[in-house]
Amino acid sequence: MIELSISFLLTVIVVLLVMLFLFTIYLLLQHEREIRFAKTRDTYLQNYSQHWYNYLFNDGNFSMVLVPRGRAQVAAIEIIFSSYLKNITNEKVEHKIKEFSNHYLKKFYDKDLASKRWSIRMNALYRIADLQIDELLDTCQQFEKTKISEEEYFQLLKIYSIFRQELFIGKIKESSIHYSESEYRRLFVLLEDSVFIRLFEDFNSWTKNIQFAAIDTAAVKRHMQYIEKLKQLLTYEEPEIKIRALKGLYEIGVIDEIDPYVPFVASDMWEVRLMIAKIFKHVPLEYSYAYLEQLLEDDNWWVRSQAAKTIAENREGIAKLQQFMESSNDQYAIEMAQETVVRRQGIK
Amino acid sequence: MKVMIDYCMWFFGGIIMFYMLFVIVSYCAMFVIAMLDLRKRYKLDPSEYDDAHIDAFYSKPVSLLVPAYNEEVGVVDTVYSLLNLRYPQTEIIIINDGSTDTTLQTVIEHFRMKPVDKIIRTNIPTKEVKQIYESEIYKNCILVDKENGGKADALNVGINVSQYPYFCSIDGDSILDEKSLLRVMKPIILSDGEVIAAGGNIRIANGATMQLGSVTETHLPNNYLVIMQIIEYLRAFLMGRIALSKFNLVLIISGAFSVFSKEWAVKAGGYSTNIIGEDMELVVNIHRLIRKKKEKKRIEFVPDPVCWTEAPQTLGVLRNQRRRWHQGLFESLWKHKTMTFNPKYGLLGFIALPYFWLVECLGPIVELGGYIYIVVAFFLGKIYYEVAVILLLLFVIYGVIFSIASILFEAWTMNTYPRKKELLRMILLAFTEIFWYRPLTLLWRCEGLVRFMLRKSDWGNMKRVGIAEKEKSV
Repeated sequence: MIELSISFLLTVIVVLLVMLFLFTIYLLLQHEREIRFAKTRDTYLQNYSQHWYNYLFNDGNFSMVLVPRGRAQVAAIEIIFSSYLKNITNEKVEHKIKEFSNHYLKKFYDKDLASKRWSIRMNALYRIADLQIDELLDTCQQFEKTKISEEEYFQLLKIYSIFRQELFIGKIKESSIHYSESEYRRLFVLLEDSVFIRLFEDFNSWTKNIQFAAIDTAAVKRHMQYIEKLKQLLTYEEPEIKIRALKGLYEIGVIDEIDPYVPFVASDMWEVRLMIAKIFKHVPLEYSYAYLEQLLEDDNWWVRSQAAKTIAENREGIAKLQQFMESSNDQYAIEMAQETVVRRQGIK
Repeated sequence: MKVMIDYCMWFFGGIIMFYMLFVIVSYCAMFVIAMLDLRKRYKLDPSEYDDAHIDAFYSKPVSLLVPAYNEEVGVVDTVYSLLNLRYPQTEIIIINDGSTDTTLQTVIEHFRMKPVDKIIRTNIPTKEVKQIYESEIYKNCILVDKENGGKADALNVGINVSQYPYFCSIDGDSILDEKSLLRVMKPIILSDGEVIAAGGNIRIANGATMQLGSVTETHLPNNYLVIMQIIEYLRAFLMGRIALSKFNLVLIISGAFSVFSKEWAVKAGGYSTNIIGEDMELVVNIHRLIRKKKEKKRIEFVPDPVCWTEAPQTLGVLRNQRRRWHQGLFESLWKHKTMTFNPKYGLLGFIALPYFWLVECLGPIVELGGYIYIVVAFFLGKIYYEVAVILLLLFVIYGVIFSIASILFEAWTMNTYPRKKELLRMILLAFTEIFWYRPLTLLWRCEGLVRFMLRKSDWGNMKRVGIAEKEKSV
């Protein structure tokens, strides 16, 4: 039996070694292929980057030499396009890139979408969105009917949010897949204001993650039109909605009346009090000081710290804090005020 | 007498063989899981995610903690590598743990640090903080000077000083890739906080070209000892971390580069100061807390993010490191022994902990026993030759085959060492592993076990070695 085991183990080792040897050969060949690919890509970049620049920015003539022949040249064009799209906002350039991609790159990504490999399909979906290849939209909808992963579906949603926003809203309504807040934000940011407002109006019908992402997106869009809606959210029971709405209002930075915020100075939740201390940055100190003084003596360290910072940022803030230090009996509040004063004076 | 020897030889031969088969099967399973996971991502363009999340709107701010004890040589480069990070919102907190060299002065002068008055919230009790400084050049860079209390204490001070909801611990002489933080935060961001800690992949920097805190080129070093460690790191990464992470069973994420939710780390009591493996200890404590609170939280290992670190170049330093790692591992496992096979801890108690006990912790004894068995068998005569040969062949599969497979697979998916010559050199060296490197590390790890046993009673008085000695676990 042992003899059998030795021979068995030897066979296993030999088989494994042979497999590893073949794998090594494959890797070395693959390596050669990759070097050739990189060389073709780099040659294209070297030869045609200037042509591309002239065509995109200087209204130079389009030449057929720019049309890619093979994958390596497509990769080179992707590098050129992506560097312009990421670093420059220019509608004319974006339009030319879109036109070219729809005309000459479409067939490559169409083929990639049918690939067995998940990563290739994902890359194709990335490019369709980045290069705005709207002619592949029907293919994408067909692709959606096949068995796809959650990541692929997310990319499809992103494509819809760029090209067909109505369809996008319908899709997230019917979708059973739940994405993270950060992912929803990535989708909502791309929406036109008119579509986003409708999504926001429908607030109560969305899941938590979509609600949170919608509030945060409204904050980042910084439109005055969202202020009223965010104020309405302050009446919600859910603390997280309240805190985020306050954060959104702080980000937008326009506080037209102080009254809706005053009751929150005495909120049970320190996060809410912290946000109020922040919001008062956008209110003249003469109206907010009484509340900020109260927050300076708060039990919570973060609230005290923020209240001191908010006061200090005002022109008369340092004097107010010094006055406070002399009159207050709250040692923690005094220390916080002192640290803020010293820091502020240090900055000056 | 002969019957006794016979009995012993068959008994031990059987145990060692059974153990080896068990380990080989476990490694195979973990290798396949890692392979499927990495293979899926092969050729996926990662820049899409990076570019989308470089905006603060999609990410969460992170405090970067750099504990430094006598790191005058490496600390400046580490801070530069952190300043180079592509991440929207960070603060860098360098904690000088009572260094006896010029670490403090070097940092003060290099980054123009000015003393500031700052109130620190004591979430975790620590040794006294002497002074806090802020950089005049980089507004998000803080230096904390404190009394010496060891790496764990320094990290706890960093947690207290930090103002962001996540913190990332980085060793004072490690270098991060510019996108590493963005990518290690990916599972945290995408899970909406369900992932509360994530560890990155550690690579060996010896032989790499560095410029102002960035690794610009990777070369395989000439030192064989270092190359063997590179292979060992690759294997540990492919046959352990990725598979364990898939099932939320990660017990070690390297202290050299890991991100934690501050809230959870504080709730778990921060880093333990009376234990060697403080990184493992924190992870296990958080796991305990998750189970206790019955919350759906995860700890993940992220294969891609890379932290570069320098590996020991001499046998003496390597011996110290390995002895210490193993002592730390045993200590942590011993401390949490009640979790093993405890139904309260689910798969953690039934798979992860037994695996760590059997393969990582007690494995060296059995393996070393295997080596001794082979030598003894050849002296005892013919009848044991066959068992010895079988053991030797199992060692070949376990040592050589797995190492080569890891090297090739890494080259296939990540290609850190892209030159053909380097790949072949690593493969050739992997053939020699079972004859010198493996027995040596086994011996040192067993030494760690013995040290744990001997010093068990006076553990609390153990003299601290400081943080200059790396606390990474392979």
